[in-house]
Amino acid sequence: MTPRAGQRALFALLLASCPAIAGAQSKQTVSINPVQNLAFGLLLPGLREAVTVSDASRRAVVALSGNGPIDVTLVLPNALETTTGDRIPLSFSSSDAALITTSGSLLKQLDPLQTNRVQLGNDRTVLLILGGTAITSNATRTGHYTARVTLLATHPGT
Amino acid sequence: MNRSFRLLAALTCIALPSAASAQAITGSISASADIATVFSFGTPSALNFGSVTPGTGATASGYIPLSRNVGVIYSLPDGATTGQLTGPAGNLQPTYTCGVGSTNSAIVNAFTSCNATGNQLTLTAPASTLTEYVIFNGTLGAGQTNIAPGTYTGTIRVTATPN
Repeated sequence: MTPRAGQRALFALLLASCPAIAGAQSKQTVSINPVQNLAFGLLLPGLREAVTVSDASRRAVVALSGNGPIDVTLVLPNALETTTGDRIPLSFSSSDAALITTSGSLLKQLDPLQTNRVQLGNDRTVLLILGGTAITSNATRTGHYTARVTLLATHPGT
Repeated sequence: MNRSFRLLAALTCIALPSAASAQAITGSISASADIATVFSFGTPSALNFGSVTPGTGATASGYIPLSRNVGVIYSLPDGATTGQLTGPAGNLQPTYTCGVGSTNSAIVNAFTSCNATGNQLTLTAPASTLTEYVIFNGTLGAGQTNIAPGTYTGTIRVTATPN
């Protein structure tokens, strides 16, 4: 074996040993389960309609479970839309999200406009709740409007 | 093995666990709303011919507002007897002009007829929610009022159907 070939073999060996370390870190698991959609319901044109985090029947609910700290980021839509492109603008404020227990007790106020650090423990399930405001105008047409809220969870430092 | 190569190998090994676990877990939820159909009559303003001197003519105007964000078909279910007045001398049929206006005083889109059944006016959906006025202007001829005194009343029935 030449010196260069020996270097390659050693490098390959080092790389092969690395997944074991990665595997040890992957025990910090988290699961995300949508429970309830954000439902503004039947709206009239020309009105602002706010769904607060205390509105149990209309707020969005997502169950989070796992271990360790996670950073939760919400990708919020700008508007609800129909299939034909009609839009209802949406707005979210810093008080439109929270973390609660499954029994409804507030654990932490969250700012949906920023990344939030959430501590999960012992595979206990906590609920992320989200409200928002829909702003209709007199020109808003009759119809069914939808949008999608995406939630990203990453372990800190990754 | 040279020094820089060993350093590269070590750094690679340190960096890999982060790269391996850097994938974000994602979930998504739906947000939704339904915009209601707006289609409702408001409070009418009655036609009032007032106190009429027998043998003289009289006029009156009235309207009923309709708020809507969809198209509409107007019709008059009573046809020929639309707005007929009834009193001590029997029936009294004023003549009417009628239609829809953006204000409560001027007809912009006239009904085909004010005393016939069937669809009298069809309007398309507006660009935004609006309130329009179904207006009736009534006239009593001098020859109609030389009758027994008393109160003569009637009803103008207008049907609006979302379209």
